[in-house]
Amino acid sequence: MQNIIELKNIDFSYDEDRVILHDVNINIPTGKITAIMGGSGSGKTTVLKLISGQISASKGTVNVFGQSLDNISEKNLANIRKDMGVLFQFGALFTDLSIRDNIAFPLMEHTKLPKEIIDIIVAMKLESVGLSGTQHLMPDQLSGGMARRVALARAMVMDPKLMMYDEPFTGLDPISLNTIAMLIKSMNTNLKQTSIIVSHDIEATFEIADYVYFMSNGKVIAHGTVDEIKNTQDPAVRQFINGAVNGPFAYKYQSNKSYQEYLGLN
Amino acid sequence: MNKIISFIAKIGNPVTSFIIMLGAMFMLILQIIASIPYCLRRFHLVIKELFFSGVLSLVIISVSGWFVGMVLALQGYNTLQRFGSVSVLGSLVALSLLRELGPVLSAILFASRAGSGITAGIGLMKATEQLDAMQVMSVNPVSKVFAPKLLAGIIAVPILNVLFNTCGILGGHFVGVTLLGLNNGAFWSQMQDSVSFNYDIINSIIKSFIFGICITLLAVFHGVTSKATAEGISSATTKTVVHSALAVLALDFILTAFMF
Repeated sequence: MQNIIELKNIDFSYDEDRVILHDVNINIPTGKITAIMGGSGSGKTTVLKLISGQISASKGTVNVFGQSLDNISEKNLANIRKDMGVLFQFGALFTDLSIRDNIAFPLMEHTKLPKEIIDIIVAMKLESVGLSGTQHLMPDQLSGGMARRVALARAMVMDPKLMMYDEPFTGLDPISLNTIAMLIKSMNTNLKQTSIIVSHDIEATFEIADYVYFMSNGKVIAHGTVDEIKNTQDPAVRQFINGAVNGPFAYKYQSNKSYQEYLGLN
Repeated sequence: MNKIISFIAKIGNPVTSFIIMLGAMFMLILQIIASIPYCLRRFHLVIKELFFSGVLSLVIISVSGWFVGMVLALQGYNTLQRFGSVSVLGSLVALSLLRELGPVLSAILFASRAGSGITAGIGLMKATEQLDAMQVMSVNPVSKVFAPKLLAGIIAVPILNVLFNTCGILGGHFVGVTLLGLNNGAFWSQMQDSVSFNYDIINSIIKSFIFGICITLLAVFHGVTSKATAEGISSATTKTVVHSALAVLALDFILTAFMF
């Protein structure tokens, strides 16, 4: 099976003191749903930003659709991005545009389709996320779950080969959560897409993912199929899956000053 | 020795930050200039911004202009009366407005109403990942968001300046002629005699054109560089108003020195 994305020996840092990723190797197989999991601040979203070309790696190579993103021209990057769809954590809908215009946005920017055809495509995409008839509404008139579904419709309006989901389940009620999970799964199968899900929601992600990468402190600490990850003996992964307070993931902030010192006892 | 180094660092840090800010702003200008053809092809984006920054500023500009003109006429009348030259009140009001008060005050009012809105809008787009979303959809935010705002500002500020001056002169006329009984013909003829179209009016428009570029650029820049937090956006909005006001006043001094 070919990999649609390959991250090789990736290091990334915003500055010398803040290393976000260190020696990360990730391969995303074509046609599968790959989950990147880990706690907050583990570097999951940074991986997505590297793949979408929003940031560049300090070291290592990012290959997307067989092309390296190192020193890529703006024009080539824009062409690569046309085959990508990204669902942002809170939807990132344009608040000054109606739902119809939000979904039509990529089509109006990149195609010369007539208005009538664009309206038909928007209607089809909205129907596929169960929100037909909301074309005229503004984003602030939707609930969080509905906004996420509209954002999903917008992300897939160009029928991208690759869909990336940044924390798609965060802040959703159980019904909306399952709806989004079902949509991700069905779209990946029906539209023959490849999907990457960045999430820390164990249950929903394990339900739909084919392969899982586990990250901690900017490193990949485990990877495998869902069953392999579920049965892994890696203590950090086990702690995360079981939601245990004690374990390799420290819940206490590493401070230079002790609690006693703050109380004036030392 | 340490105190000296610390003192140099204290001075050096803001200077370095200022130079870095100028560099970043210059890069932004270059990107915006490169985006102008895109904006001209999609001129509806500029018109939308013109409505927000120009049309919605009409009331504050015209009302302020009216009151400034009234105050000028009132103060001018009291002073000129002592020298028996109230007939030149029209010239006084018109020249004060056209040369200085019109461009400067309309620009500062524009910065407070539209400039702060531009910064807050861009800052919020950044905080809610709308700019990132645009980028990953292969749409350049510079072309789609920043450049139309800058073009709209460049078009709006000179027009608002003309409106401010017109309302100011009418306000001055209202106080001088209607309330204080100055001769209507003297008011207009003195003004006509002393105001030069090429010298006063064109220079006034040139000033406001430059102020328009400066304010919108600062507003866009502070929006783009704002921290994606409530405090960050609030601070960026304040910076836009303060920096714009200072820049307008400083530029006004330089332009006046060259123009008049």
